[in-house]
Amino acid sequence: MPAVQDTIDRVRKIDVDQYKYGFETEIEMDKAPKGLSEDTIRFISAKKNEPQWMLDWRLEAYRRWVTLQEPTWARVNYPKIDFQDIHYYAAPKSTPGPTSLAEVDPELLKVYEKLGIPLREQEILAGVQKPADSELDEANDNVYKSGRVAVDAVFDSVSVVTTFKKELAEAGVIFCSISEAIREHPDLVKKYLGSVVPTSDNYYATLNSAVFTDGSFVFVPKGVRCPMELSTYFRINEKNTGQFERTLIIAEEGAYVSYLEGCTAPQRDENQLHAAVVELIALDDAEIKYSTVQNWYPGDAQGKGGIYNFVTKRGDCRGDRSKISWTQVETGSAITWKYPSCILRGDDSRGEFYSIAVSNGHQQVDSGTKMIHLGKNTSSRIISKGIAAGFSQNTYRGQVSAHRKASNARNFTQCDSLLIGEDCGAHTVPYIEAKNSTAQFEHEATTSKISEDQLFYVMQRGIPEEEAIALIVNGFVKEVIQELPMEFAVEAQKLIGISLEGSVG
Amino acid sequence: MNLQITPQRTLAETAIIDAFGERLSALPGDGAVMVKRDNAIEAVKAGLPTKRVESWHYTDLRRLLTSVPPHDETANAKAVAPLIEGSTVLSVLNGVASEKPAAIDGVTVQPLAEKLADGSFAPALETYGSDDAIGALNIAFVGDGFFVDIAEGSELEAPLELQNVQAGGQTHVRLPVRVGNGAKATIVERQTGSGAALASSVSQLLLGDDAEILWIIVQDQPETATHFAQFKAELGKNSKLTLFIMNAGGKLVRQEVVVDAKGEGADFKLRGVNLLAGDSHTDVTMVLDHSVPHTTSTEVIRNVVTGRAKGVFQGRINVAQYAQKTDAKMACNTLLLSDDGEFSTKPELEIFADDVQCGHGATVTEIDHNHLFYLMARGIDEKTARGLLVKAFLAEVIEELEDEPTVEALEALLDGWFATHG
Repeated sequence: MPAVQDTIDRVRKIDVDQYKYGFETEIEMDKAPKGLSEDTIRFISAKKNEPQWMLDWRLEAYRRWVTLQEPTWARVNYPKIDFQDIHYYAAPKSTPGPTSLAEVDPELLKVYEKLGIPLREQEILAGVQKPADSELDEANDNVYKSGRVAVDAVFDSVSVVTTFKKELAEAGVIFCSISEAIREHPDLVKKYLGSVVPTSDNYYATLNSAVFTDGSFVFVPKGVRCPMELSTYFRINEKNTGQFERTLIIAEEGAYVSYLEGCTAPQRDENQLHAAVVELIALDDAEIKYSTVQNWYPGDAQGKGGIYNFVTKRGDCRGDRSKISWTQVETGSAITWKYPSCILRGDDSRGEFYSIAVSNGHQQVDSGTKMIHLGKNTSSRIISKGIAAGFSQNTYRGQVSAHRKASNARNFTQCDSLLIGEDCGAHTVPYIEAKNSTAQFEHEATTSKISEDQLFYVMQRGIPEEEAIALIVNGFVKEVIQELPMEFAVEAQKLIGISLEGSVG
Repeated sequence: MNLQITPQRTLAETAIIDAFGERLSALPGDGAVMVKRDNAIEAVKAGLPTKRVESWHYTDLRRLLTSVPPHDETANAKAVAPLIEGSTVLSVLNGVASEKPAAIDGVTVQPLAEKLADGSFAPALETYGSDDAIGALNIAFVGDGFFVDIAEGSELEAPLELQNVQAGGQTHVRLPVRVGNGAKATIVERQTGSGAALASSVSQLLLGDDAEILWIIVQDQPETATHFAQFKAELGKNSKLTLFIMNAGGKLVRQEVVVDAKGEGADFKLRGVNLLAGDSHTDVTMVLDHSVPHTTSTEVIRNVVTGRAKGVFQGRINVAQYAQKTDAKMACNTLLLSDDGEFSTKPELEIFADDVQCGHGATVTEIDHNHLFYLMARGIDEKTARGLLVKAFLAEVIEELEDEPTVEALEALLDGWFATHG
């Protein structure tokens, strides 16, 4: 009994054919001509009214990028990407830098309404907009209940709106698009941009550094606990465009911030590229929680179309006692290539990675994390659950390393996989490297079914099998789900909608 | 433009290629064997693997292999006493099979040089995959070894010990063993010597249906030797293979284990003890294929790292698409006893079947302080207490072999190592 029928049915339900965010919106767009050259970069930089130093930074990255080769080590197969066949900039025409919702194209607002993303801050503040009968609004309802969420919405290449700015500013928190930050807070951007993921980091990060168009910027000053959850929704709408966003989050000494990210794209036959870079910086005693529900269009049942998601995410626990926590629920994208990492530089710092990766259809997932222990008494924890169905390939690839001076480094890693069907594959590729005798690393991985003993124990108490499995499984998935902020946990549960019983035991 | 620059050859690469030119005329083999040799040296000419080659990620051969000694005609290696008393010994001394031993019941032995010369061994000279540097090196240079055939149904009373002893220079040896259906035997593979040699050795085991083999590899090369070894096995239906590996020497060591469980009901056990000291670099890499349904395997590797030694364990379990009911478990535990030592491990699972039980675990730690405290509280000094705990950690794996003389012989080796390195 590899997987119970219930699970199989539920996985089918989230099958790629039923991608409900696949609609496309007709909005007049302002696009850069196809192709990538120094002119494209100058065009993007000019569109964004960027200062000279930013343009120079981009050009340097571009010149490096042309010397690099695409990495091939990941366990994914796809036809070669033609980087000259992509629009590197696409923005809704009617909104050259909106400052309030009133200026935003109503078509655009409709998109976000369809996605169930609360942008209308007044309504949220008043809490009047009760959920309608659609499924999506349940998530909204939760948002209202659990408190307010500040949202930055990124549509193709630009950030269209950022909510709650005023209230956040009162607390001293800066939450805006990265383009705005480059203009308004150049000192902060200059100091931190590229300090975690340098322009030379890897092929896609270098490409991103050259052509990134927008993204979010968060700065939480010393001692401030960010008064609300921050959130960004990414939407690729336009044809033949790539989305290259850049997110930079800085938590100063003792600060705390929780940040959520969600993404969707329309159904199309061709593949689209999404190459983002996320940098997190936590100074002494700071904590950053970064959660992602990734639901890019995964392609159709035959594996046609879908987003290529090549993302570099890295957090730097720069200060002592700092903490960075990544939580991700990955259900979308044709190809995922993503390793949210923590560099544990400060003494006593902590890194966490919680992941659920569900692949179906012809999806290919190669995802995991890196925990680089540099400081003393650092600890890290990795919990990864992979579920492969259909013809998909699901790989966990992770690295844990302790450097010479990282005394008392601790790591616990657990990755469990579940296979549903005979045509999919699940793989585990951990790299464990210890250069310090006081390091203590533990790694466990399993691919198996539910424990008969546990099942018997529960069923013996009069609970039917399906429920018994659900019960055991819920306890298991919770490890990851409970790390998500509440409003995302609901969304995530709905997205996955399946149990993980095969990984118990 | 991306310029593809072929890097300059290293001294070691040049030395290997030069040695091939010099040695070729002296190496046995007919046309078919020579074609294999030529193809193999081409692979070496393309460059030794670097850390960019995934299966060599932690053993960057291009960087680590700094010198290659020339072939040494004058080197004079002597056979060593067998590990287990009463064993039948077949010695390869400095790359040359010593005289044909007395007949053993149920076993046919032939020097490999003969089978190379007449070309009958040519089809078996194959590398696996594109990054099999050890296989290629060995095919290019292999001069001798023993071809052992254990007849169907025979059960060997005494262990068979295959010795490969070097005294410097280069030695390239192959030890193919074919085990007939239902046969049973204990085989010891000794890899030892006294010189700063470059030694390569490939063992090929073909295990018939219902056969049972305990294969023990003991490698205690001097700390100046480079040792590249490969153990390849194919398991028939309901056959059982227990492979025990002890690495306790060498400067640069890579032991590969390539096992294909291709008969239903086959069972594979790997137990390994790696004792790492000095400046050595020791890499144990396993690739295990579960190709058919209902096969089982367990692997337990225990490592102790002292001095400035670097250790590597890579273990990949592949479960083929319809290999349902596979049960595979792998564990790699390391005691890192020195701040200058390193250990890297990469336990991989590649699974394409949905009804399987697969798992791996890996730990890297120092000695448990509670255990140490427990012993010291009983008046045992710290050094002795540490020694006891480390030995217990390793003996656990050895004692699983159960066969009394074998366990005793291996524990004696363990004690010997601790006496010099402890």
